[in-house]
Amino acid sequence: MNPKEAVTKGECERNGIEIETKATFAYKGKQEMFLDFSLIEDDEIEEVESPILQGITQEPWPKDVELYQPYEVEQILLPDNANCLAVQAFLKMCHLDYKVVHKENAEAMSPTLKVPFIKAGRFVIAELEGIVQFVNGKGITLTEKLDNEQKADMRAFMSLIHNVIENAELYICWVDKETYNEVTSVRHGSVYPWPLNHIQNWEKRSQVIKKLKALDWYNKTLEDVFSEVETCCEALNTRLDGKPYFFEEGPTELDALVFGHLFTILTTPLPRSDLANTVRNYPKLIELVQRIEKEYFKKQAKH
Amino acid sequence: MGTVHAKADEKLTEVPHFAHKHTFRELPEKEQIKEIDLEGIQARVDKINVDGLARTKNDIVEDCIKDLFKATDFQDVLLKAHRARVKLDELGCFKNISVFIDTSKGPKSTPDGLEVTFNVREHKRITGGVSTQVGNNEGALLVGMRVPNLFGRGERVQVEYSYGSKKTTNFNVAFIKPIRGRHRSAFTTSIFQQHSEWPPSSYKLVERGVLLDYGFHSTSLLKHNLQWEGNIRDLTVLSRSASFDVREQSGLTLKSALKHILSVDLRDDIIFPSTGALFKLTSEVAGLGGDVGFLKNEFFIQSNYSLMEDVVVQASLSAGYLSPLSSGHKKIGAADAFYLGGPLSLRGFRPRGCGPRSSDGDSLGARCFWSAGLHLFAPLPFRKSSSKGGLADLFRTHIFVNAGNVLADLDLAGGDKDLLETLLTNLRLSYGLGIALRLGNMARLEVNYCFPHSYDKNDKTQPGVQFGIGVQFL
Repeated sequence: MNPKEAVTKGECERNGIEIETKATFAYKGKQEMFLDFSLIEDDEIEEVESPILQGITQEPWPKDVELYQPYEVEQILLPDNANCLAVQAFLKMCHLDYKVVHKENAEAMSPTLKVPFIKAGRFVIAELEGIVQFVNGKGITLTEKLDNEQKADMRAFMSLIHNVIENAELYICWVDKETYNEVTSVRHGSVYPWPLNHIQNWEKRSQVIKKLKALDWYNKTLEDVFSEVETCCEALNTRLDGKPYFFEEGPTELDALVFGHLFTILTTPLPRSDLANTVRNYPKLIELVQRIEKEYFKKQAKH
Repeated sequence: MGTVHAKADEKLTEVPHFAHKHTFRELPEKEQIKEIDLEGIQARVDKINVDGLARTKNDIVEDCIKDLFKATDFQDVLLKAHRARVKLDELGCFKNISVFIDTSKGPKSTPDGLEVTFNVREHKRITGGVSTQVGNNEGALLVGMRVPNLFGRGERVQVEYSYGSKKTTNFNVAFIKPIRGRHRSAFTTSIFQQHSEWPPSSYKLVERGVLLDYGFHSTSLLKHNLQWEGNIRDLTVLSRSASFDVREQSGLTLKSALKHILSVDLRDDIIFPSTGALFKLTSEVAGLGGDVGFLKNEFFIQSNYSLMEDVVVQASLSAGYLSPLSSGHKKIGAADAFYLGGPLSLRGFRPRGCGPRSSDGDSLGARCFWSAGLHLFAPLPFRKSSSKGGLADLFRTHIFVNAGNVLADLDLAGGDKDLLETLLTNLRLSYGLGIALRLGNMARLEVNYCFPHSYDKNDKTQPGVQFGIGVQFL
């Protein structure tokens, strides 16, 4: 066995899957690299020129990283805002520099058609999971002290948030008539000229409804949705168990994701405040949100 | 084409008052051929019959044929009958039109009276078919359905779907209404959906929209088209390797534009003209609503001179200028810009091969361009003169020089003295020779061997064999 490989193996044992991915990058050929990317998820990493890929692990975090998202004041919607904030929180937790760029067509520009996405050098990577993977590829990780069981736990909670809180946000924004008419349609259509705004609102709404139907969420009542959110918050609250972060080892992407969603829910004015009220029943979670805001966002703002 | 039968009645020539005007050149008796000066024969049309009308309304048919009553001599009758036939054909209601001219008989007939009969066959209520078409370096399969003569006045509805070899798809529903009057005008409303892919620029475009078109002739040769287009365009990057400059343009835009097309076509043939010129001027203003705004002017001139039989010099010049509206906050997208290069424009370069491009090599389009071409067309060598009209007649050999330039942005107000200099710096030039083939009466196919002569280091040239198929070539 080649000594380099041995080192890699050792690292793997300590750090699990992430390092394994990293190791293959460093030592195997181009094809394997693609394989490993497909493990992550096909759409999340944009490969621009393959030789660059070989340097992915060695290259430091580029200076000109830009995070693209829709306009915050007049355009962005609750679910998108939550995801953008989650990514920002994650990057700040990693102490990585980035610049926020507001684009009205950010969604269309994204390789997965979902915001946010970052542009790092020649790479374009979308959504939290992809960005986490990309950052890990640079040798920066928030989860190195976690064991495999904890990592699995973290992933399970992250997918819980995607499957419950995100769907609930989509439901409120697009299915609830009052919110749709007063907030969603106005904001989503704001960047398009008449009559394209109506056409786009209608098209996006049918897309979301189709998705919610497939997930069996469309036929739920508002009460069902709130109780789902409540169950989810309950589970998060139990997992947090009064600790400063979900894991003793420090903040992770799970904290970033929870922060993104709960902060947005709490601070976005909507005709229905029930969602925010549901979250407010969990002071421990609110404390977590405040802690992250204070630690990572307030501090940055002073600079 | 229908046939015009002129029945020279033996008795007619003997009528005395014809005698002083017509000139006979008596040929040897055995050939029995008489040459008649048709202009000399007085004639008047007594009666016109149109046979075979079912759905078509009388008034539009009357409009087409009423000029015939003004004819004063026999030649006039023939010419006007032919013109009436062309007009009837232009209505698009009839499959087949034939004309018979006979002396008029019966109690009300006048001495010089003629009776003209048009035999027409109307189209079926619905026609359809599958065909192929070519254009813009692409072959396409076309499935179409037409409802001709919907309300009896030449109105028609046509539905077309085409699928091209370069993944271009096109769906179009159009309603066309010819309008009576001397301007030969027609009004067209169409709804379209067009999908096109542009690998040199790494984007694909879906366009959905409405087009209203009013076409008319201000004089018999000057054709105008006034159009309004409302178009929702969805630009998406073609691949992951698309440059960020292209990615930044993705998303939906709404274009609402007024367009005026002026054209004069004096050429004797569309594909291989031997004489005559074509002039086309297109002006477009976008930004009446929507979020796309620009002013775009473009012209194309082609002129042909016949040096000797079948040896033709063709010169063409085309240029375009795109400027943002003064308000300035409306967008100009990749789909609006000018591109140069390719077998239909600047030969010897790849499609969209010239001009500004991103660091990843995607062609981004320019605000200003000009291009010119000079061709010498000759028939195939070693052709037997007897084979005129044969297969060899479909081919031409040509040698050509193409030149052109694109400018990312041209400041017209900047100073006129160096405008010419600006237009000539970084000039692109290519030359070559090749064979051109006539495809039906619709398109031209060219196989050329090209030598790019001067080009920019970022340009994508295509030295060697280049293949082009299309309708309008530089």
